[in-house]
Amino acid sequence: MSDAAPDTAMTQINFMRLFERVALLVVWVLLIAGFHLAMPDIFLNWGNFSILFASYAPAALLALAIIVPLTAGDYDLSVGAMLTLSSCTIGVLNVWMDFPIGIAIVIAIGAGVVIGLFHALFIVYFRIPSLVVTLGSTSLMTGIVQLITNSSTIGGIDNSLVMAVVGGRFLGVPYVFYYALTAMVVMWYVFEFTPLGRRLLFVGRGREVARLNGISVSRMRVGALVVSAVLASIAGVMYAGVLGSADPYSGLNFLLPAFAAAFLGSTTILPGRFNPLGAVAAVYFLGTGITGLTMLGIPLWVTNVFNGGALIIAVTISQLTRGREATDIG
Amino acid sequence: MNRISKASGIATALAVALAVPSAFAQSAEDGIARATERLSAYSNVPVFTAPGEPFDIRACAADKKMLSIPNSSANPFLKGIIERMKAVGEDIGLEVVEWENQGQPSQWVQGFDFAVRNEFHVINLISGISPATVEPQIRAANEAGLKTMTSHFYDPSFEPNPLISSALPIGFNEIGKILANWATVNTDGEAKIALVVSRDVPPTIPLVDGIMSELAENCPNCEIVREINVGVAEWGTKIQPSVQSALQAHPEINLVIPIYDSMSQFVIPALRLAGKLGNVKVATFNGTPFVLDFIQQGYVDMNIGESLDWIAYATIDGHMRDLCDLPVPDKLNVPFYIFDDGNVADAGTPAQFDTGYGDAYVTGFRTLWGLD
Repeated sequence: MSDAAPDTAMTQINFMRLFERVALLVVWVLLIAGFHLAMPDIFLNWGNFSILFASYAPAALLALAIIVPLTAGDYDLSVGAMLTLSSCTIGVLNVWMDFPIGIAIVIAIGAGVVIGLFHALFIVYFRIPSLVVTLGSTSLMTGIVQLITNSSTIGGIDNSLVMAVVGGRFLGVPYVFYYALTAMVVMWYVFEFTPLGRRLLFVGRGREVARLNGISVSRMRVGALVVSAVLASIAGVMYAGVLGSADPYSGLNFLLPAFAAAFLGSTTILPGRFNPLGAVAAVYFLGTGITGLTMLGIPLWVTNVFNGGALIIAVTISQLTRGREATDIG
Repeated sequence: MNRISKASGIATALAVALAVPSAFAQSAEDGIARATERLSAYSNVPVFTAPGEPFDIRACAADKKMLSIPNSSANPFLKGIIERMKAVGEDIGLEVVEWENQGQPSQWVQGFDFAVRNEFHVINLISGISPATVEPQIRAANEAGLKTMTSHFYDPSFEPNPLISSALPIGFNEIGKILANWATVNTDGEAKIALVVSRDVPPTIPLVDGIMSELAENCPNCEIVREINVGVAEWGTKIQPSVQSALQAHPEINLVIPIYDSMSQFVIPALRLAGKLGNVKVATFNGTPFVLDFIQQGYVDMNIGESLDWIAYATIDGHMRDLCDLPVPDKLNVPFYIFDDGNVADAGTPAQFDTGYGDAYVTGFRTLWGLD
């Protein structure tokens, strides 16, 4: 008899943990069902979801970019500016300077490597807080973008990029979704099944402990910052392909939704940990909500309330199911 | 007798039933004819009409200084107007200086202070800064003997702020009417419209009113199926998904009107992803070069443009009349011009801000000012 009580408690805890892992996915399914009931012939069709998958792919890439340094314990607030710099670099080089699109893309991604190393120099070498450095570089890159674009939108980016991003489709879904999916799978594999992923997690959980265990903390942090900037620059390439133009302003607006998705994603699949599957699921959960609400014709301020409300409620429920124990996030 | 009366009643009812749709069709056709006629004024290269009596602008502008404060110096449209005002100013002896800023009200306040300290004569608020946000500064400038004027900001239906010396309004309502008439004519009176607006920008209201009133008058079968209101700061994240959703929810939509043409960079991807690029028409306003390029590429069907250089000449004209106590024109003397696939090549490839509008205004203003 005396052994039975802990067993029940354990089962209950495991059940709660399992529920926590899938709670967001369950709510997502319920959300889809709700919109389907509200719009029987319109919402639940493949065409609608193929558009949803494609249009939120750059945002998914940005959320993936953010969780790499977050896992290592650093913030990268500059991903929105990096996305903008990358797409505008392509616009300037390809449209105004007649560079072939392939070269323009390579240079744009190369700019990501340079910016990542620039962040690492100040954050890791000079030991300046990542919030300060990436906030500063956001302003720096925004200024550079205005300089190189003359503050104008640049239209007429090579159609081959548009075709490669949203022109071609597989199973009715534009290619851009599969690029984001590939990045997610690669990151998930690295995070979960390689020593590199484990080392990154250790660095984020406790730098001193990681260092005493022989992990090169500085190298891991540099790598995470560079990967983040490169992923953001790839998101910029995708964004340029989706729009077919380069806009010097709008990319910055993706920062907050991407952070919301990263934190919301950390409440699901592997609760308490930034994880690629959770982040991408969160992006599409939020995207589904926004799409459904706008299809219903609800004013757009409601979507902001939905984004913020979903984030706060999900993180709160996650905390409650964990018995209000401290997490390593936030 | 009773039977005859019944038969005649049925015949009358039938006649009425047949006549009502026929009258309705007639009214729709009349509407299309009216819309076509009203559009024609905007389809030819603009001609110059004098905004007032001739005057000696050099005598008026001699040794005078004007500080031009744009809503934000990052806006290429405003920057372009100010650059051209500087060139016109050089020609007539007026020193035009731009107060460079990043769109922050605290910087506009500094601009007023700079103008007062450096003894400018005119402060020009160009297209965007509401005088209501800088009232204490306008009051201080007035007390120091400077005149504050706005251009390309108010609609003629707005009551200008009483502190300003004069306003040169622009017909946003007229633009709405052009968009509505174009929609009527180019959908054979059957426009099902997704209207993308930014109600946080004051000119949106008269512009949308213009669309509504003209559709009500000329197009009984036209309908605004969905109005999508997106604040300017959220264009990049909200317009594309909202337009996609509207197209999915309302497959009958055959025209998207993003009222400011920079919105169209987010409308085009929405149409592309929804598989409707080329099938759903796009009509817009502002004449921004990259959107004129979209017309050349077949993504946008129509864009209403204004010449920046013309705006610069008309603004200088109106402000100098005010400075020299002459009657100020009721509105900015700048015509609207419709670009479509028939004439967009005139705007250049790639399109330029000031190309394609002809140069009637240059000789027109110079003659009016006694320069030629």
